[in-house]
Amino acid sequence: MGLRVGIDFGTSNSGVAIYQGDQIHVLPIDTKNLVPEVVKSILYITRDYRHFIGQEAVELYYQQNINRQRRFVKKWAGEIDYHGAEMDYVRDVYVYVDELQPGRLMQFIKTALRSEKYTGTQVFDRYYTLSDIIATYLQALKGRAESLLGEEISSVTLGRPVRFSASVEQDRKAQATLQQGAQEAGFKQVNFELEPIAAALYYELSLSKAQNVLIFDFGGGTLDLTIMRLGDKRQRRVYASGGIGMAGSDFDRAIIHQRMLPHFGKGVVQHEPEILSLINTIPDWAALPELSTPMARAELRRAIQAGVAPVRLKALEALIFNDLAFSFYNLVEATKIALSSRGVAVAAMKEKDMDIWELYTRSQFEKDIREHRQQIEGVLLETLAASGLEPGQIDAVVKTGGSSNIPVFGQMLGRIFGAEKVKSSDVFNSVTAGLAIKAHRNS
Amino acid sequence: MIGQGKIDEWISEVQERPESAELIIRYIAKRLSELAGREEELAAENIELLSGRKVEEYENRIASLEYQLELLKRQLGGEVVLPSEAPAPKPVSENVNILAYNSLGQVLCLEINPDALESGQTLALIQSEVPVSDLQVNLLVTGAQEELLFIFDSGRTVAMPTTKLPVSHPEQLAWQGAFLQEPHIKEELAAIHPVGKMTLYDTCVQASRRGFVKKMKTTFLAAHITENYIGSGVKMPADKTWGLTLANNDDLFVLVSQEGYIFSMPAGRLPIAIEEVIRLAITDHIVTAFVAGQKPSILFITQNGKAVHRDMGWLEVASSFKTKGQPLLSKERREAGTRIIGAAPVDALEWGVFLHSDGTLSVQRLSELVARGTLPLGGTADSLVSFASFHMAEKMQEASKEKAHRPA
Repeated sequence: MGLRVGIDFGTSNSGVAIYQGDQIHVLPIDTKNLVPEVVKSILYITRDYRHFIGQEAVELYYQQNINRQRRFVKKWAGEIDYHGAEMDYVRDVYVYVDELQPGRLMQFIKTALRSEKYTGTQVFDRYYTLSDIIATYLQALKGRAESLLGEEISSVTLGRPVRFSASVEQDRKAQATLQQGAQEAGFKQVNFELEPIAAALYYELSLSKAQNVLIFDFGGGTLDLTIMRLGDKRQRRVYASGGIGMAGSDFDRAIIHQRMLPHFGKGVVQHEPEILSLINTIPDWAALPELSTPMARAELRRAIQAGVAPVRLKALEALIFNDLAFSFYNLVEATKIALSSRGVAVAAMKEKDMDIWELYTRSQFEKDIREHRQQIEGVLLETLAASGLEPGQIDAVVKTGGSSNIPVFGQMLGRIFGAEKVKSSDVFNSVTAGLAIKAHRNS
Repeated sequence: MIGQGKIDEWISEVQERPESAELIIRYIAKRLSELAGREEELAAENIELLSGRKVEEYENRIASLEYQLELLKRQLGGEVVLPSEAPAPKPVSENVNILAYNSLGQVLCLEINPDALESGQTLALIQSEVPVSDLQVNLLVTGAQEELLFIFDSGRTVAMPTTKLPVSHPEQLAWQGAFLQEPHIKEELAAIHPVGKMTLYDTCVQASRRGFVKKMKTTFLAAHITENYIGSGVKMPADKTWGLTLANNDDLFVLVSQEGYIFSMPAGRLPIAIEEVIRLAITDHIVTAFVAGQKPSILFITQNGKAVHRDMGWLEVASSFKTKGQPLLSKERREAGTRIIGAAPVDALEWGVFLHSDGTLSVQRLSELVARGTLPLGGTADSLVSFASFHMAEKMQEASKEKAHRPA
């Protein structure tokens, strides 16, 4: 019989914990990371199909890709059958492939579970379904945990958001894909627990009497809310749960839209539709690497030679063709995180042909995510109404997840429930720890 | 772009959180000072452009390159069509530059007049606080009008004309005052190669210290040079870039390892993707690569000053990759610690520059060295660190003149 662990497979970060000897151990799964108990949910697959996760993946990606050489070759991708009224014909489809690409980086994997359209991706000559991608990541995570524990892990309790998607069918499909991925990774038994419930189980350890608690689990991909009665096992009860598929990565996109696109030429001059389409793809982290084609480069060079915002389009060319996209998204995220602890931050990136400098204030950020705030407050009040409780009946509001550190949300919770009730749990590990408790109870 | 809207937003941040004011001022002041520095650099460049100094420099370089091209065409028997309206090319310098460079990016440049050169002469003494053998010093002999390519082990490159390197006085040759092409963090200077004549070659072969090789067309190399990146050319973590060799497809490409193993194959048959062509022992690494060209023989130099001379026909051309290599040294000599520090294809007109472990730079006519078999060293503690050869047509004339006047 192998070990049982809890795994929080998050949008931005993940973690593994085990409950042993009446204690929770969050495993130092990524020794290269600043916080070893947290591993970035990033997967890097090299051309020879070796897999790397976390900080190791990031470092290898930087080492192999930044300012690297490219060579595009035309490859046959398939054929399209045309069936008209009078004629049928088959047309070959070709794509340009960079044959020197050393590897493929994947991030925000969990977000793909929300999508109805995303089924997988081609990595060099192999097609990885979404469950293959998840399995590859979880397998690496399992391997690291097993080498730390020195024993085989057979069973896992995985966290899941309250809602992957508003559609019940998609929500069911997302959990099934996650389960398939975990089984393919080698877990013989796979259980699920809602992430906010897991965070609640961890918080419950600190309670000496029963309380009505709102868990505000706000990470990289989703906001999950649960209102529960905690602290007395006989009276434990879920009053209501809710959530929305909006969180840290959506705020990053908002910052890029509002503040970063002008650095790449948006709004400076009237652009050709092809160039505008390139600029508008910048906020889409998954699509940006796909833009590095000879056609896109030719379009950009034509516009630069014609003197259409040449400095900014040169920066766009560098972003796309020097593999700077990952550094750029990290810059935006780091700027957002910095604004949680101070009023001003600078997003600066100086590379060949690129010099971004953007002084960004907390009040600008709050303005840029105003619509998101309104939607989040709406979901919060809906969940509260569904619980049948008044704000005054909530004894504690527990914040967890990286985005819960954003001051404007702390203020929002304080305004509705009273600042003294708002408490911070272990931002990155409370869900992981709660899942370990749940895994132990499942045994 | 900083517009009024953005300034208003910053002011509203300060109104909301007065403590942000200090940070905003600090950030803007830092940016202003950074921009002012850049503005000054641009202004200086602009003055150079306006005063015509830059234009003159570029004109000189273009004229010199055109002249070299015509010279080469003539040497190779090609048709020479000089545009009638073109200004008469300026005479190029007849001097030869000897470069000594190390992995830290320090380059010493010594200019010598071939007419004044004597075989066996000591050219200079490189003053160094660190022993020369610890600095991974390489030598390169090049014309004063060459274009040099600095290759770093990350695959980054920097191109510059030889004229940009400050020439040192032979008596003041010290690493402290050397020209520095500073490597980036975790980077080392792997090699410097002359590339002014690259258009005359079909291909460029990049080799690594562990015997991996890839070739690329010289047209691609030209494109990569403009992008300042050619790739590291390595596949294994423990490997490093060695350098480049320009070759035509029919040329015999030769790799020589420190422990005396040789790989040779026509350049046209070398791989395009990085491949291990010679399997080296864990302690061994490549010390030199060259193309045989029309030269009749090869000279190998060992660290203890021995010159091993072989006819070109002695080379066993490899028929596949990952070979063990053709051994030059006997097992006994290898086990006794004999190591190759350099090799070159030679004819009667070839000269060699030698760097000794005490920092002495000496020069020797290689035909004399072949006849004698050993380069005289300073003492038992002296050994050779690096070697480079060069062709000197002027000296050949002198030598033949001397021969003609010598009584039978």
